[in-house]
Amino acid sequence: MSPGTHKQRMGSNVARLCLIAGRNLVQSRKRTLMLGTAILLVTMLLVLVNSLTTGIRNTMLRTVTTLSTGHVNVGGFYKITSGQAAPVVTNYEEVMKPVRASLPNDISVVDRVRGWGKVVNPSGEGRPMQLGLTGIDILQETGIIDVVEVIDGDLMDLTRTEVGHTAVLFEKQAKRLKVSVGDTITLSVVTPNRSNNAIDAQVVAICKDVGLMSAWNVFTRKDTIRTLYLLDPGATGAIQIYLEDADDAPATAEALRATLADSGYRIMEPEAKPFWMKFQTVTREDWTGQKLDVTTWEDELATIIWTLQALQGVKTIVFSVLLIIIIVGLMNSLWMAIRERTREIGTLRAIGMGRRSVLALFLLEAGMLSTVAAALGTLTGIGVAALLNAMEIHVGQGFQLFLMRDTLHLVIGASDIAIALTLIPACAILGALYPAYRAAKMKPVTALQHVS
Amino acid sequence: MKIAPHMLLVCTVAALTITVGYPASTAHAETLTAEQVLKVLKTVDNRQRNNGDYTAQVIIDQREKDKNDLVYDATVYRRDKRDRLMILFERPKTERGKGYLRIDHNLWFYDPRVGKWERRTERERIGGTGSNRQDFDESRLAEEFVGTHTGDAKLGRYTAHKLTLKAKPGVDVAYPTVKMWVDVETYNTLKVQDIAASGKLMRTSYYPKWRKLYSKSKMADVWFPKEIRIFDEVEKSNRTIIVIRKPNLDSLPPNIFTKAWLESKSR
Repeated sequence: MSPGTHKQRMGSNVARLCLIAGRNLVQSRKRTLMLGTAILLVTMLLVLVNSLTTGIRNTMLRTVTTLSTGHVNVGGFYKITSGQAAPVVTNYEEVMKPVRASLPNDISVVDRVRGWGKVVNPSGEGRPMQLGLTGIDILQETGIIDVVEVIDGDLMDLTRTEVGHTAVLFEKQAKRLKVSVGDTITLSVVTPNRSNNAIDAQVVAICKDVGLMSAWNVFTRKDTIRTLYLLDPGATGAIQIYLEDADDAPATAEALRATLADSGYRIMEPEAKPFWMKFQTVTREDWTGQKLDVTTWEDELATIIWTLQALQGVKTIVFSVLLIIIIVGLMNSLWMAIRERTREIGTLRAIGMGRRSVLALFLLEAGMLSTVAAALGTLTGIGVAALLNAMEIHVGQGFQLFLMRDTLHLVIGASDIAIALTLIPACAILGALYPAYRAAKMKPVTALQHVS
Repeated sequence: MKIAPHMLLVCTVAALTITVGYPASTAHAETLTAEQVLKVLKTVDNRQRNNGDYTAQVIIDQREKDKNDLVYDATVYRRDKRDRLMILFERPKTERGKGYLRIDHNLWFYDPRVGKWERRTERERIGGTGSNRQDFDESRLAEEFVGTHTGDAKLGRYTAHKLTLKAKPGVDVAYPTVKMWVDVETYNTLKVQDIAASGKLMRTSYYPKWRKLYSKSKMADVWFPKEIRIFDEVEKSNRTIIVIRKPNLDSLPPNIFTKAWLESKSR
């Protein structure tokens, strides 16, 4: 027999088996519908939960890289004495040189001056707040304008030096402090030499909240933070690097550590903690002068990234349970089908159908059913996600911690669709394997003698 | 007629404000030279300085907006000759045994719950209140600041020298700039404004009452404020009142200004 003829026979056999499997599915309509609906719902749920975690990750990345961190940061501590540490990079322009040289030209590199202090309404109204103070150059960081929605005022007014120090607040902060655009707030901090310092700043813009993260952050000018902390103009908080792909952050951070060490800087050991959690360790260490700390956005978010990991864990457990239910349901359904169709299997075997073909027939049934149901489930999931996004559902403050924003936001990634379309049918076929094998092992004589 | 406690407080603050709070008019006076200002500061210091030991009971009353009122009872021990200071908290029960100890230029804090000593700075807010070490310690204005006279002013019925003091380089003080009003007749401090490095007014303190006590070791009177009223100028609704009671100038045991002694008080 020529190879071409063999291939043709194989093809026609598969087509025939598909036809039989399809007819069987149609014939046992009720069972097919029930099992198909279950697979559809599980797939839809998988798509929705995956889109929720993708949405949270995307929002988290977008939010935090706007508010508090770059994809990669070169920060560090300067110690006047071994027991006094300030989270500053001195002579930052010198540090910038090897950083810029080691990165492609189109990568955005900016510096921000960071602080932590009390924000008070000097009129005595409202309630004081402990907030992170971020000194930025708004003209350098136009990305903020894309992410932050201004409710009142103008972000560009941050640069208005003629009105003195300026600040941008978020909605909830403004409400709590009872201030609006044009009002004055007092920023009060403890300086690196532990003295108290305070300045007044005019509120130039109030922005819409960006999840819970924005509740902790106030934007102001770099010179404002330097004045507050009595820093010289050569000092900054951190050099922030924005990459094309955030997933390149760990590799870039590693390369930067080597580059900066080669340039003669002392580098801190990598530690997945935000800078403000490193104070205790740093003050305990016996060194003085400058040490640089290269971190990624995930390191800086170590305290809240657990929310994402917790959600992933819960998702894995829930889906494992659901998949086990689907597999058991499918196996049970196939057992029933085999029992109902024992004589039919006997007849097929008697007229010459091989064991492999019987096995393939049952696997095809499971595969066809699960593939169609998974595809429909994915489409339904995409539709529901789009609907939920359009509805802009507001979530409670507690849930905002997980979502990193105040409305439900789902993002369906190509990988989520691929997972749904492959994982569910693969599990279904896996579940069908044993019943199909038992059906294939049946002797034609025994099967024909079976009385249903 | 019974007066509600809050009304009493309002009346007291109002009376205080009328008496020493606002300059009624600027009195005419010649500007003091640097030497004369130094002499004023030395006089202010000397009047409060005691050559021997000093003990006093203090009540620190802290009021903050949207927070529970804090009232601490503490004892202040001083040995000015050797720059020693100790503040031992006695009440409330939760604070008993906590204390501050100044040895040389270091301020230490002890918490019996953790049994550890921590080094704090001169700017430490004592017990988390609006007060700091300088409010309890001997006056060292001439040593720590360089002053200029900015004119005389009337504070209620008192005429006061208005002085602006700048901290000397390298000296660890709570605020780098201090404006103070000193009574031209008695050289008692009437009002102090603490100003941050940025130039912002951080707190205003009033010294409405002074008392004197004869010191055998000094062979002269020692003056001390009966009460200090501290107003937070950043968080306007916060204020701290320090009431100084039962001052005693008797000698203290020689080993009292040690970590071991303070630790033993909480056992």
